[in-house]
Amino acid sequence: MNIRLKHTGAALLAAALVLTACGGDDDDAGPAEPAASDEATATDTTDDTTPESTGDDTAEPSDDQPDLAGTTLTFWIMGDNSGAFEELVAPFTDETGIEVDVEAIPWENVNDRLTTAVASGDGPDVTQIGLSLLPTFLAGEALMDVSGMVADYPNLADSNFPSGVSQAALNPEGTVASFPWVSDTRVLFYRSDVLSEAGYDAPPATWDEIHEVAAALAERGGDEYGYYIPQWDAPLPISYVWQAGGDVIDDTGAIDLQTPEFEAAVDHYLAFHDQGVVPVNSDFDQALGFITGAAPMLVSGPYLEGAIRDQAPELDGAWGVTTVPAGVDNTSLFAGSNVGVWANSEHPEAALELINFLADPQTQLAWYEAVNELPAVTGALDELKAGDSETVSVYADQLANSRLLPLHPQWDAVGSEILNTLNSIALTGADRDTALADLYAAVESMTG
Amino acid sequence: MRDDRGTLPATKLRHRSAIRRRAVPYVFVGPALLLLLAFGVLPIVVAGFVSLTDLDIAGLANRDNVSFVGLENYRTLLSDGDFWRSIRVTLAFIVIGVPAIIAISLAIAFGLAQGTNRWFRALRTFYFLPAITAIVAISLVWGLLYNTQFGLLNYLLDSVGLPKVNWLSDPTVAKFSVGIVAVWRATGLNSIIFLAAIQNIPQEYYDAAALDGAGEWQKFRYVTFPLLRFALMFVTVTTLIAWLQFFDEPFVLTDGGPVGATTSVSLFIYREGFSRNQFGYASAGTVALFCLILVVTATQLRLFRRNDAS
Amino acid sequence: MPRSGTKSRRRFVIGVIMTIGALLTAFPFVWMITTSFKPLREARTYPPTVLPDEATWESYVTLFRDLEFGRYLTNTIIVVVVGFVGLAFMAMAGYGFARYRFVGKNVMFLVVLATLMIPVQVTLIPSYLILNKIGLTGTVVGIAVPTLVSAFGIFLFRQFMETLPDEVFEAARLDGAGEFRIFYSIVLPLSKPILAVQTILTFIAGWNSFLWPLVIAGKQENYTLSVGLALLNQQQSVNPPLQMAGASLMVIPTILIFVALQRFVVAGFTMSGLK
Repeated sequence: MNIRLKHTGAALLAAALVLTACGGDDDDAGPAEPAASDEATATDTTDDTTPESTGDDTAEPSDDQPDLAGTTLTFWIMGDNSGAFEELVAPFTDETGIEVDVEAIPWENVNDRLTTAVASGDGPDVTQIGLSLLPTFLAGEALMDVSGMVADYPNLADSNFPSGVSQAALNPEGTVASFPWVSDTRVLFYRSDVLSEAGYDAPPATWDEIHEVAAALAERGGDEYGYYIPQWDAPLPISYVWQAGGDVIDDTGAIDLQTPEFEAAVDHYLAFHDQGVVPVNSDFDQALGFITGAAPMLVSGPYLEGAIRDQAPELDGAWGVTTVPAGVDNTSLFAGSNVGVWANSEHPEAALELINFLADPQTQLAWYEAVNELPAVTGALDELKAGDSETVSVYADQLANSRLLPLHPQWDAVGSEILNTLNSIALTGADRDTALADLYAAVESMTG
Repeated sequence: MRDDRGTLPATKLRHRSAIRRRAVPYVFVGPALLLLLAFGVLPIVVAGFVSLTDLDIAGLANRDNVSFVGLENYRTLLSDGDFWRSIRVTLAFIVIGVPAIIAISLAIAFGLAQGTNRWFRALRTFYFLPAITAIVAISLVWGLLYNTQFGLLNYLLDSVGLPKVNWLSDPTVAKFSVGIVAVWRATGLNSIIFLAAIQNIPQEYYDAAALDGAGEWQKFRYVTFPLLRFALMFVTVTTLIAWLQFFDEPFVLTDGGPVGATTSVSLFIYREGFSRNQFGYASAGTVALFCLILVVTATQLRLFRRNDAS
Repeated sequence: MPRSGTKSRRRFVIGVIMTIGALLTAFPFVWMITTSFKPLREARTYPPTVLPDEATWESYVTLFRDLEFGRYLTNTIIVVVVGFVGLAFMAMAGYGFARYRFVGKNVMFLVVLATLMIPVQVTLIPSYLILNKIGLTGTVVGIAVPTLVSAFGIFLFRQFMETLPDEVFEAARLDGAGEFRIFYSIVLPLSKPILAVQTILTFIAGWNSFLWPLVIAGKQENYTLSVGLALLNQQQSVNPPLQMAGASLMVIPTILIFVALQRFVVAGFTMSGLK
């Protein structure tokens, strides 16, 4: 029995080794050296056709402009806007003959799909990348460096995008791996009717003012609060650090939390809880809370505007948005999504054609119309700003003063550690100084 | 167990057909076993290997990024406060959950065993329902019931003048809220197993006990309970394994919150490793959990066996 | 007979208690179904209404018209059908372990039990690589493969088939029936109860599968109902009626299957020797 067990074990180990070895390298999951970029610089424009490759090898682009009609691209979209996206790219297919297969992935499961795709080297051609996941995509070498090809696509020039998401800001390694697609930022939503009832005719513009107003609004008692802090919102405390005039990354690019500005941000965050002006239930629905007036002020993104207009059109005129209250300044979070070409896509040119189309100001505006996601292209933003929507000009102003979360490979873990620490102080009464000391130690050990 | 030996007249055929006959059982168990090896056992072995490396997503993409770190992951795990907290949380769930599930399932089974008419049979469906419902659907339904703003439970409390409860946001209450859903889900199948075992007990035994003047309690103590032994053992072992792997309910209802109060060991491994792609570390956690389950199960089986012997 | 009088009274009381318990247990499902017919606004009002004031099919229409739930339903049915191949494998394995003696049997059975002890998240990447190697990713068949056989199922089949009387086999062998013939035409018909149990469990496993369809699908058109339902779950603002309509769509068929097969189910466990 024992001997036999050993044998079985050995056989299993052998099998496992074979499998993991195979999984690792005989497909093209390997280093993301785009087969295309090294030759792409030499492209010139004559017409010829390259048949669409269906083999295992990456297509070698010919020296001629290939005819891309008949190519099919797979596109990963996060969340449930796949129907709207199919409509968005219909004109693109009509014009170029490039088909687009759209696949929707629930936000919570993006990581599952990403890891299995990286492990097998079997991904889409083009993918949406939530900015918070960008470090993971880069670390997994899931995106193609298209720096050698990008010159042929006018809409993808760096000058078209806000400076907060320049290629230099997006790619710590100096590559060109993804392009801004939709932008998102956080602004202060407020119920002007509720505020004026409490005697405030303008929304709070500074940290001190927002604490004052929130306290006054919470006086209404019962289930009525002054402000709302989502317990799952890891970027929020970081934007407080920026507003305090600090940063969480030092000059050397390392994560550094032990600064007076970080402490100021922590105290700003905790003060809302100490004064009891925010709800403490984790399943608080912010749209509903805003509509009923239970949470008459909160920091959120354009999607909240969509939800309010959808669910409570009668509130029109009773609410507004403004840039976030300032500590030292009023920096907010630059969020949103990029799009990039998958590392071993067989159709890099067609993929870039699609991304170029998505970055066209007209496409950007159409997407905003369809799903209320803000453009990431300056031209489209300006056009929106020139329109008569007050909310959009606030978003645009705020985007001009917004920052990306650190693209540090450890950031995701550190960010949730910070959030957990703050929640443990705010919700379970942990001691502030001890908890912060533990946090600093934990971050030290994480980032080594 | 029996050895099946047909007799064959022709000696010439004997050798070949003997081989063939010897192959028969392997043909029967082969397909299922291969699938289990591929998707059940192999991953354990792979996890064992991976737990000795620092594999992360960069390593998945390119094996040059993987290095051997020996027992480093295990050392980190044992000094990780969050890991120990998840052990404590899981133990708390087990201490309350295992007896609760067994007691409630037994009670339901006895209740259902009282009648055999159509009505009693129809009731089985109601009790079995939670066990066969998709976890995604369950999380949505219970999330709606527990909702603090417009959920039914708080409305009921409110209407009898009690204060509202933060079902999923208060660290202590959340444990119970999540536990209730887990118990609610688990009783269905176990009740059916107990019911089957109860109905398996021949009526003669009870009649004999009645002749000896045994009351209801004595009947239970000397007839029912001993004959439910195997079912009890089976349910206890599978329930305990299920609690040790407790994952679904806290994952969908609270995501392990508030502040880790419902983060079970499985969820801890998932969070630390599989959602942050630290596969080496997560595999170490997996191997540790696997060993824990193995030890607990072996201990249980031994206890049952010892009781059987006495 | 006074005795039977107290007995029937006791049975009545227990019946009432069990009925109340059953209603409590099933209540979340009642809530689910009624909510699915409410308009969005009503589903989020306080105090909540038990029955919808103005019932509407809107959410169900949305699911099928705008959200491809028809396709997810088809895929789910395919996954379930493939799952029944696994049922055959489990029955065969249970029979093999129950009725034969062979080299390596104990080790193999230990292997079966060991698979009960590994949490599913762990198997994700290795299993994915295996499926990728055999070229099953991106197919609906591939979705069903990793969960095709379960240790629990094999165990139940083995328990049941050990209780089959030997005489049956003797008689069949004397008639010169081959081993597989015996299995197919004698053992399986005798195993109806346990097959019913396993049919339900297999159906449920396929019907509710979530993780594999999501990861293996490769295309949205291969998604199953569970995944479609997860796509409805948004962090910012929930739409309870739509979610409950999706949930009802998933739950109601499982209820129907169980009702259809439930008279075999208890018998199945009964005869599997769990005593």
